[in-house]
Amino acid sequence: MNCLLCNARLPVRLNLGDLLMLRPLERPVICEQCRAGFDRINPDHACPGCGRPQEHPHLCCECEQWQHQYGWHLNHQALYTYNDAMKEYMQRYKFLGDYRLRQVFTVELQQRIRQLQADLVVPIPVTTTTMATRGFNQVLGLIGDATVAPLLRHRAVDKTAQSHKSRRQRLQTPQPFILSDSAVVHGKRILLVDDIYTTGRTLYHAAILFKKAQCSEIVSLSVAR
Amino acid sequence: MDLSEYYGRRVLIDQPEWRRAKPAPPIEVLPTMTRHGQMIRCLRCGQETACRVAALPNDEFYCPRCINLGRVATLNKFYHVPEPNQFTVTSPVLTWTGQLSPLQEEAATTVDAGMTAHRHQLLWAVTGAGKTEMMFRGIAHALARGERLAVASPRVDVCLELYPRLQAAFQNTSLVLLHGRQELPYHYAQLTVCTTHQLLRFYHAFDNLIIDEVDAFPFAANDALLFASRQAVKKAGGCLYLTATPGPALLRQVRRGHLAVSYLPLRYHGHLLPRIHLHLAPGWRRGLQRGHLPASLLSQLRRSLDNGYRFLLFVPHVADLAVVGPILQTALPRHPFTTVHAADPDRLTKVQGMRDGKYDFLVTTTILERGVTFPEIDVFVLGADEPVFSSSALVQIAGRAGRSLSRPTGTVGFWIAGQCRRVRSAVRQVNFMNRKGRALKR
Ligand SMILES: [Zn+2]
Ligand SMILES: [Zn+2]
Ligand SMILES: [Zn+2]
Repeated sequence: MNCLLCNARLPVRLNLGDLLMLRPLERPVICEQCRAGFDRINPDHACPGCGRPQEHPHLCCECEQWQHQYGWHLNHQALYTYNDAMKEYMQRYKFLGDYRLRQVFTVELQQRIRQLQADLVVPIPVTTTTMATRGFNQVLGLIGDATVAPLLRHRAVDKTAQSHKSRRQRLQTPQPFILSDSAVVHGKRILLVDDIYTTGRTLYHAAILFKKAQCSEIVSLSVAR
Repeated sequence: MDLSEYYGRRVLIDQPEWRRAKPAPPIEVLPTMTRHGQMIRCLRCGQETACRVAALPNDEFYCPRCINLGRVATLNKFYHVPEPNQFTVTSPVLTWTGQLSPLQEEAATTVDAGMTAHRHQLLWAVTGAGKTEMMFRGIAHALARGERLAVASPRVDVCLELYPRLQAAFQNTSLVLLHGRQELPYHYAQLTVCTTHQLLRFYHAFDNLIIDEVDAFPFAANDALLFASRQAVKKAGGCLYLTATPGPALLRQVRRGHLAVSYLPLRYHGHLLPRIHLHLAPGWRRGLQRGHLPASLLSQLRRSLDNGYRFLLFVPHVADLAVVGPILQTALPRHPFTTVHAADPDRLTKVQGMRDGKYDFLVTTTILERGVTFPEIDVFVLGADEPVFSSSALVQIAGRAGRSLSRPTGTVGFWIAGQCRRVRSAVRQVNFMNRKGRALKR
């Protein structure tokens, strides 16, 4: 097997433990060098609202603004910073549409999903246009075979993708989602999963719907921040 | 979209678009992939991938092989309009006024005849023969007939170098340059200059296709190149392969009679290629680790410098530069030099320094840019038998010597730990062309 990102040969590492345990092997899908290009965020040194890396454990300015606007803020975690390697990865996975690359972060993402112990794991959906063009929801791809509750869908066809908008435009976007079943949400701990946290606008829109449907708690997670 | 953008091409169309607007003739809507059991075949690059690897959700598939050209998926369709050859020919077609040598003249006539008959031919011309100018007449006549043409090369730098020369030679013709490094807007033109990779976007477009430096990285011995050129050329079109070092794939085509071959064994100044001298140095790598170079190499380097000639010394790996550099500093203290490799940030400055005469020699791992020639130099390779040097690279390296009329010869020496197929093949190719050259001179 070769590295999904640079095509270098991956060493097959088998230790006695793997053989004796007879457990399915968690084979790496990218090489050490490519792995080292990504910058992991330590949750203990991150903003508790949006997951951005910082020294102190207080809300950052942006999260203070959300707190001010809604009277509450998200509890978001991100696995990695949105550095050049991550940008390139997202370019190839999402925009070029190389669906094989979905596997790169699946193991870590599933691990963090388990740690966050939610009743319902809700992926952020893509528009029908994106689905017809790209052929996949990048968030579902990243999550892999973990159980999810696809409770959100897009209201209508959105003409401009978020990535083509400026920060200001993004913050002014109206509610794009519909919650398809509010009854199952009642009293549940919800985990929202997205690929990238940029301004937070998308996740706040989603979170508002779940708050209205009286979930008990809401946390969120993304691969990049 | 302007209809002309579909002429002779297969343009990828997203699902929402082809479902919304049913295109009218002459636009043809073509499928992008076909499935054969557990394999899915991409109709753009011709390669097959296991369905398991190429799968998207909902039983859709995509091609991971040529994804860098924009993803081909079962969600897409191709729009295609058969090539209409909608060109207005303005005279004079050829605006180049240079002169060909009698030998170049002969090759130019062969090329022209082959292009007129839409033959598949190989022009095997030695390094420094002046291949580009020899294509001009054939191209001019084809353009005057209203044909659509492409000049392609596996290497971007070759395309970048060819484009302005072709622009200057055919000032009254529409040209377009296509390569992956920058996304210039495509437009319909009579003469396309592109990387061989870009040929995959065309479909039965060209009446004649010329492929320069066929054997250069990264397409060497690759069926993908043959597939791409077969797709891009019209069914009754012609194809001209130009090379200084035909690889086994092309030579096989020649032997089977699929490809007519003509030779240009003499350089533009009418001289033979410098002969390759082999020097056996079985323990050179161990010696290098202990801090010395083969004595025969050092004395050869001294001899060149004493005779007033500068040289290029090639070594196999970037790591070798750091070892060989200090040794030469001690051994040849009065001679300014530098080391350079492909990814060296100061590469251009160093090459310019060599051109300006700032250095007596360069120690390098790469052939440097095409078109970079230093007059009157000698050329040496340490470890020519190491796998990084392909036989075609060795022929190109040897061809760096004897480029100028002021010194049409030069010394070429390879130091090797042992005999190998690549070195033998390079020596054989040079000797073969020189035999042909000698026969012409007689
Ligand atoms: Zn890698
Ligand atoms: Zn924050
Ligand atoms: Zn393909």
